[in-house]
Amino acid sequence: MPSQATQTAPDRPSSSSKNSDARCLTPVTVKQLKDLSKVGESGISIDGVDVNNIVLVGIISKIDNAVSDCTFRVDDGTGWVECTKWPITDFNEIAHHFLECIYVHLYNTKLRPRMTNATDGMTAQPQVANSYSGNHIMGYSYQTNSTNQFSNQYNTDEEQIRGISSMVLQYLRRPACLASEMGVSSDIVARELNVSVDKVRKTLDFLASEGLVYTTTDDHYKFTDA
Amino acid sequence: MDTSSPAAFVNGGLLRMHVGRKVRTVIQVTRSDAGSVMGKSTDGCQLVVRGSPPAPLTSYVEVIGVAENESSIRAELWTNFGDSF
Repeated sequence: MPSQATQTAPDRPSSSSKNSDARCLTPVTVKQLKDLSKVGESGISIDGVDVNNIVLVGIISKIDNAVSDCTFRVDDGTGWVECTKWPITDFNEIAHHFLECIYVHLYNTKLRPRMTNATDGMTAQPQVANSYSGNHIMGYSYQTNSTNQFSNQYNTDEEQIRGISSMVLQYLRRPACLASEMGVSSDIVARELNVSVDKVRKTLDFLASEGLVYTTTDDHYKFTDA
Repeated sequence: MDTSSPAAFVNGGLLRMHVGRKVRTVIQVTRSDAGSVMGKSTDGCQLVVRGSPPAPLTSYVEVIGVAENESSIRAELWTNFGDSF
């Protein structure tokens, strides 16, 4: 897992990170950092995962030696960034770093949205470079918020389903719903969330196919981790 | 930040898909002349890299440059990757 591999070795180039208590290190390319600053968020995140300390590998293209510190420009083929430098002696580090970037990126965007929240009794896959907290699911490519606002920006059916999925899952994970043996009917979910029954049914079908919910009796659904 | 010329990672097989564009790859040097270097790509293809290699040249070298055709690159930047890679 990437989090194991990123024990900070002294000869790894690294960008100076913000003062933070993050326990994880994320491999990134300069392009990913550039996309971050375009969004302009105050809390930095990549692929839905909070990022503080990063690993960056590239070529030194400019050096500036000052009395108290040394600033360098690191160019990794996707862009450049000013940072502090440590030397590379094993060039396999370069290929390894980019492969890690690819792996972690794919993991966070493809695999993590399928995971349920880690609760007792459920084996949770280790989080990748993430300080994971709360009951809401992070890592969804669509930034659904935890209110019940149904935004009008979703156009296609599939986008709508994904938009509602998070709301429906949250509803099914309420203690009352978890406690109920029979689960919750799709009518009730639709009424409570103020969404059409048709959309809720489609969403529940989708969630069931992902293994996140299951049917108990006819048209009654329960969250899988109850 | 400057991402105006990102170089795509390629091997011998992928080079043909990026002809005319900036690419980067590591090759194992098989022959080295004054104006070009012949080497084996990561997937076993014979590639020609035109330009001025650094001296001395190690066994493995990463080149970043423009793909001229499916087996040739015009290098802009060479980086020695050592003898064990």
